[in-house]
Amino acid sequence: MSDDLKIVGLLCNWCCYGGADTAGTARMQYSPNIRIIRVMCSGRINPSMIFKAFQEGADGVFVGGCHIGDCHYDAGNYKWSRRSKIVEDILEEFGIEKERFRHEWISASEGEKFQRTMEEFHKTLTKLGPLELE
Amino acid sequence: MSYVLAKSQNNEILEAGECGGAVTSILKYLLDEGLVDGVLALSPQDDVYDAFPVFVTDSEDLLKTAGSYHCAPTMIGDLVQKYFIDKKVAFTVKPCDMRAVEELITRHKINRDNIYMIGLNCGGTVSPVSGRKMIDLFYEANPDDVVSEEIDKGQFIIELADGSEEAVKIHDLENEGYGRRNNCQRCDVKIPRKANIACGNWGAEDGWTFIEINDEKGQELIDGAKKAGILETKSPSDAAVEGRSKVENIMIKMAKKNQDATYPTVSEMTEWSRCISCYACRDVCPICWCFENCELNKPYFKDEANIPPVPIAFQGVRLSHMSFSCVDCGQCDDVCPMDIPVSLIFDKLQKKYYDRTGYVAGVSDDIKPPLYSPEKTEL
Ligand SMILES: Cc1cc2nc3c(=O)[nH]c(=O)nc-3n(C[C@H](O)[C@H](O)[C@H](O)COP(=O)(O)OP(=O)(O)OC[C@H]3O[C@@H](n4cnc5c(N)ncnc54)[C@H](O)[C@@H]3O)c2cc1C
Ligand code: SF4
Ligand code: SF4
Ligand code: SF4
Ligand code: FES
Repeated sequence: MSDDLKIVGLLCNWCCYGGADTAGTARMQYSPNIRIIRVMCSGRINPSMIFKAFQEGADGVFVGGCHIGDCHYDAGNYKWSRRSKIVEDILEEFGIEKERFRHEWISASEGEKFQRTMEEFHKTLTKLGPLELE
Repeated sequence: MSYVLAKSQNNEILEAGECGGAVTSILKYLLDEGLVDGVLALSPQDDVYDAFPVFVTDSEDLLKTAGSYHCAPTMIGDLVQKYFIDKKVAFTVKPCDMRAVEELITRHKINRDNIYMIGLNCGGTVSPVSGRKMIDLFYEANPDDVVSEEIDKGQFIIELADGSEEAVKIHDLENEGYGRRNNCQRCDVKIPRKANIACGNWGAEDGWTFIEINDEKGQELIDGAKKAGILETKSPSDAAVEGRSKVENIMIKMAKKNQDATYPTVSEMTEWSRCISCYACRDVCPICWCFENCELNKPYFKDEANIPPVPIAFQGVRLSHMSFSCVDCGQCDDVCPMDIPVSLIFDKLQKKYYDRTGYVAGVSDDIKPPLYSPEKTEL
């Protein structure tokens, strides 16, 4: 059933990871399919990390960073934002639906946004079903 | 920007040159005046299918390099960055060579002050292997008897030792899977306008080279070579300029038509499962310059799980690092031992990047923030 879906989440330490923490502390419910990997900034995420996650069995990959203007390292999320477009274009080539790859700006106080985003993403992936690479 | 017709004042060069021998004369001028340490040009080896770049420091040796070699799809950008970074050099560039050099200048791998780029218009190159095969199949001649070849008015023309010629329409050759390399069939940059000058036969009278002067350095080259007594020039007629621009536009239109063909995605192509991860496509790519620091050298890519490599992991790295700068030179197709049409997807991704940003690799003046710059802009 859909609870086998694997979501890899790459969350920046300063904002989205805090948002997930806030959601957790407040005991907000969301589907438990996400495996969170904490990174220092969305700007340090290489496209190849996304590709590797899919290659090794992720059905969806989520990236969370600070809102534009709030990056702890000034411009990391701008870099990520530009890179994400290339990632989308490349995923399309490999037959991976672009809906399986999502990114969102979530601050440390936005536990509720984190919860909502996870629920939405889980719903999207449930519709798409597990990813089958060639 | 201005136009001249040019012709060598040196009879040997005029004889050996493809058109007016202007390119060889300008290279000789640069060497003789000591303006460069050396010149990179192509020299044919055993036959017409086999020419490769040589570094010439004595202008006497330039004669061997004159002429156009259509079956020699070489790449100069990589050589210059690897071996001539500290030298003052002049070299000939097809548009894809020029584009690679421009991308490498952007990456501080080549210093513009150290180089002279002598551009050659380019209608396309033929791979040496398929060149031989197609002559065997479509011409009466034996490929070994061909002493020279040229591309003119849509035909691939061969000349035999006895002086006889044979021509076949390129369109017909390409319909059968021969003719110009696939990347050349899609290439819509026909005149290298980032080179100091762009030389060609379009718009030229017999025995002359048509030159578009692109910048001040290009003008200095022409003026200098004239002053040295090795080059004469005259103005082309308006009709010649117009005719040239017409042919250019026809060629671009043809290329766009080929681009509009729908190419399969990687996941739809069977060829990719043949990859043996030999790294040849990376090593030959002029834009891939990280060498020993390449992400693909990480032990993870040598895991058993990655042999044969999973395309999304292996080519995904290169695609995400440089596809936006792919100059569609086709070198990766040429070297792939498994005959995978590698450039197809890199070129496709550069065109997607163009749709997002308007950036044409090695051609656009406005350098959009590269993916890793700290610019505060989104796409
Ligand atoms: C593959 C190719 C396709 C061409 N297509 C067109 C065309 O469609 N329309 C047009 O107007 N002109 C085209 N040209 C340019 C034209 O053929 C002449 O090279 C140009 O007019 C200069 O003539 P020239 O007598 O002054 O050059 P030359 O004095 O003969 O000197 C030519 C120089 O180019 C170098 N060279 C030869 N082959 C190559 C190669 N494959 N790659 C890099 N350098 C090379 C030689 O080593 C030499 O230094 C093409 C050239 C090439 C090489
Ligand atoms: S990816 Fe291939 S076609 Fe593109 S620049 Fe590199 S070698 Fe040339
Ligand atoms: S794949 Fe990336 S890291 Fe490797 S050489 Fe090319 S650009 Fe550099
Ligand atoms: S050259 Fe061909 S076989 Fe070798 S790594 Fe590249 S795509 Fe794979
Ligand atoms: S620190 Fe959060 S995106 Fe840069």
